[in-house]
Amino acid sequence: MNCESVTKLIPLYFYGELPPEEEDRLEQHLDTCPACARQAESQRALSAALDRREMQPSAALLAECRHDLMRAVYRHEAPVVRTAGLNPRVASVPHWGGFAAWLPSLGAWRMPLGASALLALGFVAARLTAPGAAGPFTTAGLTPDNAILSVRSVQPAREGAQSGEVQIVLDETRRRVISGQMNDTNIQRLMLAAAHDESNPGMRWESVDLLKGHSDSSPVRELLLNRVAEDPNPGVRLKALDGLKTYTGDPEVRKVLAEVLTNDDNPGVRIAVVDALTAHADDKMVGFLQGVVEKEDNTYVRRRCVKALQDMNASVGTF
Amino acid sequence: MAQDAPGAVGARLSPKLDEASLIRAVQRGDQDAFEQLVRAYDQSVLRLAVNLLRSQEDARDVFQEAFLRVFRSIDSFRFDCSFHTWLYRIVTNICLDYLRKRKVRKEEPAVVDTPEGPLDRMDDFQEEAAHADPERNMWNRQLGQRIEGALGGLTPRERMVFELRHYQGLRLRNIGEILGTSEEAAKNCLFRATQKMRAVLGDFQ
Repeated sequence: MNCESVTKLIPLYFYGELPPEEEDRLEQHLDTCPACARQAESQRALSAALDRREMQPSAALLAECRHDLMRAVYRHEAPVVRTAGLNPRVASVPHWGGFAAWLPSLGAWRMPLGASALLALGFVAARLTAPGAAGPFTTAGLTPDNAILSVRSVQPAREGAQSGEVQIVLDETRRRVISGQMNDTNIQRLMLAAAHDESNPGMRWESVDLLKGHSDSSPVRELLLNRVAEDPNPGVRLKALDGLKTYTGDPEVRKVLAEVLTNDDNPGVRIAVVDALTAHADDKMVGFLQGVVEKEDNTYVRRRCVKALQDMNASVGTF
Repeated sequence: MAQDAPGAVGARLSPKLDEASLIRAVQRGDQDAFEQLVRAYDQSVLRLAVNLLRSQEDARDVFQEAFLRVFRSIDSFRFDCSFHTWLYRIVTNICLDYLRKRKVRKEEPAVVDTPEGPLDRMDDFQEEAAHADPERNMWNRQLGQRIEGALGGLTPRERMVFELRHYQGLRLRNIGEILGTSEEAAKNCLFRATQKMRAVLGDFQ
């Protein structure tokens, strides 16, 4: 092993990419060659210098990226219903918006979404739609465009039946399109139900997004308060918070937001709550924010609280 | 002495589902599985983008574009390679495009000169540095400038190989697989990258 080949191998040695025998030979050379040993030292120093420049993305940045991604995914994925005027008799395949064209391979995503949408709307939808004629099925009728089927049970042939016959019990969910104005009470009830569907964060996000423009309605405001405090998805929580911005002067809303700031595990949400709370000057906030500064783990949230306190000409710490 | 970080990059999956089952669930349209798959890898993807591009805005764009591509094309994943390799092919391709575009428009430096002295646009990442002593800060800033200069002198491919090996702890064989090249070519790339950087940094180390 000569100095020229060692020079080439030093980076590989440093990164542990040499086979053990070659590593042994190189180390023997380094023991006897000060020039190559200096090169190895230079490689180590370079690495140490570069280590100091390594950047760790903040938790807030990661949370924002996740939120933006899921928002981009869910926003386009959820079904879009756009027909003027409430017409319970309309029954057709759903309109999936432009996302179907954008993601031609995502057929599999659509069916469960439609299914969970109907499950969520459940009893309310039943009151709005005409009863369907549910007759006995034949295999020819198993895949109607507007029905979602699932097998509940498979039973062996009954006594006296033809050989090889089985009995299959299917659950059938019919898909219907309900359309109407957002200020229609029935439409709002459907939307409120959809905004609570635990199985589908995309639909909750979309529902809250649509409802937040109607926060003057008391049931909608209650929903937004519930979602900002309880929704497991931070994207939905942020969207609900967005809908409450015009009510951040309301004591009840402030109380809930203060609880969110104390308990929410997502720094992005906590930052948004600080902004919402401090949008309304309120001296009562000073002590609360000072307490948050003391206890908050996340530097960005802490900074935001400190800035809010400074903007209020209040001291950052308690004495 | 050797720097290897097995597991520095990779999945943190729930014990409930192994990765293959998770991917199959995503292919069947399971949204929760997609979110779980994203969360298994997204920290390392973001870290790669941030370190490589040294811009929060660009890193955010890469993050979104990469995972949307995964979302869009997961049906075409056939388990011919590991999911990690497949994902990193997507991510590195997007990052290389960004780096090449920057080369064309002559790089936006992470450290810029201002009337108050050199300013590192990435200082927001180094929250704790604000508490260090001023002399050390100055030295760090100067070293930072030199490192940026050294990294800026690498070709996009050299930069990528270096980032994947040094900061992400990937083996050169895996890096070759991700970049669609041989392990030998990845070794040569790493050698050129370290030589160039040692030449630029010299006495500063």
